[in-house]
Amino acid sequence: MPKVMASAPNAGGRHQRGRRIAPTLSEINVVPLVDVMLVLLIIFMVAAPMLQRGVEVNLPVASRSQEIASDRLFVDLPVSYREDRRVFVDKEAIRLDFLAERVRQIMTTRSDKLVYLRGDGEVNLQELMEVFDRLKEGGVQNVGIISKLPGER
Amino acid sequence: MRSFAAVIALVLVAGLQAASQDPAAPPPPQQPSEVAVVISGDPGTPPRYAVPDFVSLTPDAGDAARTVAQVLWDDLAFERELYLIPRDTYATVPVARSPDQVPFTAWRELGADAVVFGTVARNAGTLRIQVRLFNVRTRESVFSKEYTGADTNPRLYAHTISDEVHQQQRALRGVARTKLAYSSDRNRERIVGSVENRDVKEIYMSDYDGANVRRITTSRQLNLTPVWAPDARAIAYTSYRRGYPDLFIALIYQGVQQEPTTAGTQNWLPMFSPDGTRIVFTSSREGNPELYIMNRDGSGLRRLTNHPAIDTTPTWSPTGTQIAFTSDRAGQPQIYIIGADGLNLRRLTTAESYADRPTWSPAPFNEIAFAARTGPGYDVKIYDLATGMTRQITFGEGSNESPAYSPNGRHLAFASTRTGRTQIFTIGRDGRGLRQVTRDGNNYTPAWSN
Repeated sequence: MPKVMASAPNAGGRHQRGRRIAPTLSEINVVPLVDVMLVLLIIFMVAAPMLQRGVEVNLPVASRSQEIASDRLFVDLPVSYREDRRVFVDKEAIRLDFLAERVRQIMTTRSDKLVYLRGDGEVNLQELMEVFDRLKEGGVQNVGIISKLPGER
Repeated sequence: MRSFAAVIALVLVAGLQAASQDPAAPPPPQQPSEVAVVISGDPGTPPRYAVPDFVSLTPDAGDAARTVAQVLWDDLAFERELYLIPRDTYATVPVARSPDQVPFTAWRELGADAVVFGTVARNAGTLRIQVRLFNVRTRESVFSKEYTGADTNPRLYAHTISDEVHQQQRALRGVARTKLAYSSDRNRERIVGSVENRDVKEIYMSDYDGANVRRITTSRQLNLTPVWAPDARAIAYTSYRRGYPDLFIALIYQGVQQEPTTAGTQNWLPMFSPDGTRIVFTSSREGNPELYIMNRDGSGLRRLTNHPAIDTTPTWSPTGTQIAFTSDRAGQPQIYIIGADGLNLRRLTTAESYADRPTWSPAPFNEIAFAARTGPGYDVKIYDLATGMTRQITFGEGSNESPAYSPNGRHLAFASTRTGRTQIFTIGRDGRGLRQVTRDGNNYTPAWSN
């Protein structure tokens, strides 16, 4: 009996606590906010590099610019390459077998091992890589690929 | 009748015109006094040469045809006067079997200014080699020669062609037929007798590119510091075959050995005078090493230097009037110059801590190459006698010693440890165009023949 008496207030207390109404939450629920912010963060992280592409650069005007441009070595890769395996180095048709040696000859007198490649848009990656291989074999360190802006002729 | 008169009038007018024009007619274009045979390249670039394989006209000449073409390519590239198109790019160029089949269009597309066409025929122990040099732009032959001789050494034909092409096209004396002599321990025999545990060193000679090695001495002792006589038919060297250093002269094509010095005296480091009649050498016959001059047969001995310090490694000036040598009279070995008459001594190197083994260049360059201590090893440097400036040829790759000039003065042979063992290398006098000559054993003190 005293055992029961002793346990009665315990049982009553538990009952009282269970019946109590849950207290009102005083903090803001930040979970949806954090979700939205993280999604926004990811969107901006992905978008940031894309935004930079549109940056416009107004090139400085210099009287020497034409001079340097004329010294550039252009390699033309027309779509006819697919049939005859010939590229054009400074307007001279050269078959792919000879390209490395001819470029090596030209590079012996040049300090900047740089050529500019004017490739046709129809040329596929495999053909481009073949030409890159020969250019690298000929001692070219950098290849600039010439493109044009939309609408430019 | 009217037409007849018109014809007469026409004839008259034509005759008058001819008469009036004849004295004033422009002279016919003169023939060039000399046929233009020199092939030039694009402005500012050396002419580009292609040397495809020679055509073998007989079935057993294929090896010789390939060897001649490859050696000719190497020889022409050695002087660095021409741009030699690498032979592995010729694969897609059509092969010509006769001079009129040479595919000039393909060679032009490959960038060649000149192309060599040659044939090789082997017949009963003789080789007949025909060679032509074509100007690719004009499609004209500017060089045409035929060589006939023994088939034992096809490389010699290529060396000869190279020298003649260099002479004709660049007015340059090539060195393709010259030889190197050096001291080597490549046969790995041990000296017997008093000196413990040392390899013998024998004198060897080879072509300038390291081929055709011949052994000169067989004494199984130390044989050192070979030098060529100016006629390239004799080698003088230092040998310990008597137990002490002494001079010997080997007449290499006659198999004769000469001992010009008196027996019992210690002599070393001989050097022929440019006319070949005298020899300057180091001797300690009077107590300490001094320079002496004698005639080639040993007569006319004359003492050149007189100083308690060591005077050694003499070299003649191209005119034979002066001698450069090493002396440590200032404390450290330095280069000095003295007249061949023993007068006008002056010190040359002042900026080096240690300078040794001078070699005087042939004309037209007036300079002295020597080995200078730079850090742990030595490097080859060149002292320009006109300006007094010193320039460095090698830069601390191993130890580089014993420079020797090629007969045209454009190259240096030297001994270097850059590949581990001591080997002979050649290099341009501008410090470019390094080539390894020897690959076997240790090789020291090269000398370059005329």
